[in-house]
Formats: sequence, C-alpha cells, structure tokens
Amino acid sequence: MSSSALAPSAALRAPSSRFADVVVPRLAAGLGIVLIWEATVRAFAPPYVAKPSGILLAIPRVIVDPAFLAATGSTLAAVAQGLAIAIVFGTALGLLIGRSEVADRALRHYVNGFNALPMIVILPLVTLWFGYTGAARLATTVFAALFSIVVNVGDGARSVPREYIEVARSFRSPRLKTLGDIVLPSAMPYFLSGVRLAVGRALIGAVVAEFFIAIGGLGYFILFNSRSFRHDEAFVGVLLLAAFGVGADALINWSTRRFLPWYRRDEKGE
Amino acid sequence: MHPATLRRHAPLTLSLIAGLALWEVAGRSTSAAFMAPVSATLERLRELALSGELTNQLISSATLFATGFALSVIVGMPAGLLLARARILRVAVEPYIVILYATPMVALIPFILSMMGFGFAPKVLVVFLFAVFPILYNTIEGARSIRPELIEVARSFRSSEWALWREVMVPYTLSFTMTGVRQAVGRGLVGMVAAEFFLSSTGLGQLIMGASQNFDTAGVFAAILIIWILGVALTRLGFMLERRFAPWRE
Repeated sequence: MSSSALAPSAALRAPSSRFADVVVPRLAAGLGIVLIWEATVRAFAPPYVAKPSGILLAIPRVIVDPAFLAATGSTLAAVAQGLAIAIVFGTALGLLIGRSEVADRALRHYVNGFNALPMIVILPLVTLWFGYTGAARLATTVFAALFSIVVNVGDGARSVPREYIEVARSFRSPRLKTLGDIVLPSAMPYFLSGVRLAVGRALIGAVVAEFFIAIGGLGYFILFNSRSFRHDEAFVGVLLLAAFGVGADALINWSTRRFLPWYRRDEKGE
Repeated sequence: MHPATLRRHAPLTLSLIAGLALWEVAGRSTSAAFMAPVSATLERLRELALSGELTNQLISSATLFATGFALSVIVGMPAGLLLARARILRVAVEPYIVILYATPMVALIPFILSMMGFGFAPKVLVVFLFAVFPILYNTIEGARSIRPELIEVARSFRSSEWALWREVMVPYTLSFTMTGVRQAVGRGLVGMVAAEFFLSSTGLGQLIMGASQNFDTAGVFAAILIIWILGVALTRLGFMLERRFAPWRE
C-alpha cells in the first residue's frame, strides 16, 4: 500500500492502515444492508418486491433494453436543457440582485418566495400552459433549478470583497468588465454550490413531471414497471437516478477543489 | 415620510404593486382556464375558506406533514448523534447516507404505492424520507465539530456517557440539527405534496388536483398560494429555531 495515496491526516495516523480503518467497515456495512434487505424481502414481502439478487439479475437485461436507453436519454436531455436555461437566466438574475441594491430590494422577495415554493405544486399549472408534453417537463426542470442558482449567485456577487471592486474602479474598469472579470470569478464557488442544488432539484423536477404527465423518461419507466409489478427492473432506474445525483455531486465537489483551491467555506474536518 | 426611508422602501413597494398588477393583467387578458387574476384567486380563496373546505384540507395536510416531520426529527437526531459518537459506525455507513441524500426520493414513490397502498402510513413514509436526511446529515456534521477538548474535559471529570450526551453533545449539536430542520422544511413540503398527488389524493394536494381537473384555475392558484404561505412561514420558523438554539454561532 503506497503512502503517497493517503491524505496527509490519515498518513499521520498510520500505521493503522486506511484499508482496515475505512474500507473494511464500509464494505461490511454495505454487505450487511444488502443481506438484511434480501432476507427481509424473502421472508415477508410478496415475490414481485425488489430485492438485491433480483435487481442484480435485472441489470444486464435492462441496460441493453432500447426502451430503457431511450427513457434515460430523454430524461437526461430534459435535465441538461433545463439546467442550461436555468444557469443562463439564474446567473444573470443573481448578478443583478447581488450587485444592484435597487434590484435586490425590488426582487429579493420574489426570488425567496419562489425558492420557498415547493416546485411540485406547479405541475398542474404547467400542464395547463404547455399541455401533457415534453415542454411541460422542461418548464418544470427550469423552475425547479432556477431559484437556487439565483439565490447562490446573488449571495456570491454580494460577498465580493469591497477592495477588489475599489481597485477595479480606480483603474477605471468599465462596470461590465468588472462584473465579468471580478464579480463572476469571485462568486464562482457560490455558483457551483447553487448548481449542485439545482442538479438535484432538476432531476426531481423531471421525475415528478414524468409521473404527472406520463411522458417517456426514467421517471415514467420506473412508474410503468413498478405498476406492472416488475420492481427489480424499475429499481435499476432508481439506481441510475441515484448514480446521476451522486455523480453530479462528486463532479462539482471535485471541480471546486480542482479549480477553486482558494475556496475554503465548507471545508470538512477529516 | 423621510426621504431616506422612502428611498429604502420604494423599490420593494413599487415591485410588489407591479407584480400584483402584472398578475392581474395577465390573468384578465388570457383565457380563464389558463391563468387566474389576483382578484379571482383571492375571491376563490375566500369561498374555500367560508365553505370550510380549506380548513379541512389544511388540517389533513398539516397532520401528514407534522407526523412525517416529527418522525424524521425523532429518528434523525439520535441517529446522527450516535453516528458522530461511534466513529467506526459512522465511517461504515456514511457513504450510504451520502448516496441516499443525493438520490431523488420521489423515484421511490411508485414502490411505496404498490407495496403499501393508499393509506396514511405510506404518505407519512414519503414525508419522512424527504425530510430525514438533511436532519441526519447536519446532526452528524454538528456533533463531529465538537472540540475534542470538551469531551476530554467531561471524561476527566468522569462524566458518564449519558451525562456526556445530555450536557455536551445534545446542547452543542442542537443548533446544527436546527439547520437541518430548516433545510428539511422545504423538502418535507415537496414530499407532502408529492404524497398527496401520487398516493391517495388528500389535503391541499387534492385541492390543487381537483381544481385543475375542473379547469378551476383560480382554485389552483388559491391552493398554491396557501402552500406557498405555509412554506414561507415554516421556513421562517426554522430560521427562528436555528437562531434560538445557536446564540453562540455567528
């Protein structure tokens, strides 16, 4: 086992190895969860209920199923589009309320208000406005994602150190250039944590929209298969959604560390 | 009015008036099935309140939310403290908690539906699943941030494990738990409405669904308004609790 792969704090604690300290308990807990799940379902639940062995057997079948692949593509495309729209408008609106006091006073209550609204309640409205279509799902993901980006970019733009702005002013930097060269980079960590929230919310938005509207996608795949008592197959969809959620989280954490190493707001203990 | 006060309040007042006017105009200039103006929404809200329907559905939703939410605090806080205290346990299950936290819980609703049916319990489970993870997660993070000196001092005074929890861990961690509670409010409300939409239709969710099926757009807006007020009020309450239990946190 190479010590260079260890985090500094763990290296100091050596010689007790990371493997015995961390990997073994984690694997044991994972195995325990799977076994308890399997045993409980076998003992008490009807045979259609999802259990680890059934899910494992279903995975190779499901991931080559064209219907599943189409559903995945459709949901991911909607989430990506929704996020792109939310990021563009959310960043613009966030910069506006973060840097202009008048805009902040005028719009803050709307932003906080929409942010506090459980986004799922707009489903009946978007179906009224867009019909039972993909556009309604897109609108739901945009609405779900937008406000966490506005709020976070706004916080970030507000917290730019005053000296930075003053230096830019004294060098007669035009306002727009200051915004792009100083405010935006300085607000980047906030932006990324806003995006992290937004990804999760957009995924939820897309799934509930598919439940509600019954258009093709991962959410509908899960709904349809669980209704026809194919829980193992349906659960593969849940695993994929979880993987997207976790993957997006990890990607954003990694980029924060990689590209914004100066940022230390939510530094973890260990 | 003092000019400075005027300048301070003018943007908010003007934007509120503009927002309400825009809502009213948009409602009046489109078809009634598309959008309802403020006036019609408030009128419908008054009718719903007078008929007693609003109160009934509000009580139904509040019962669901309160049960699920209370359960997630009762489970989330002790579990979080335990995981923070027992290092081996925390190391072992932490990745699974992170994974569950990042999983869109709505995806589990179809399974809950087909296994547990249409009663009250499955809906409580949905609210619980939505709300428990922020509480659990923040409690773990909070309890982990206790300075080791505090625990060592308690230990050197031969504090029992129980006294250590009561005098150090719980009081210290409570404010972090409250941060989790505040974050959980929004998620719990989403869970509540999702349960009312996709499991048996009750409460404010039923009010929205029923109104939208009857093309009663004013009714949809009225119900959304109530849920929004609920969300804002509960989030405010969360912030207050957070500050109440954390006078020492900046």
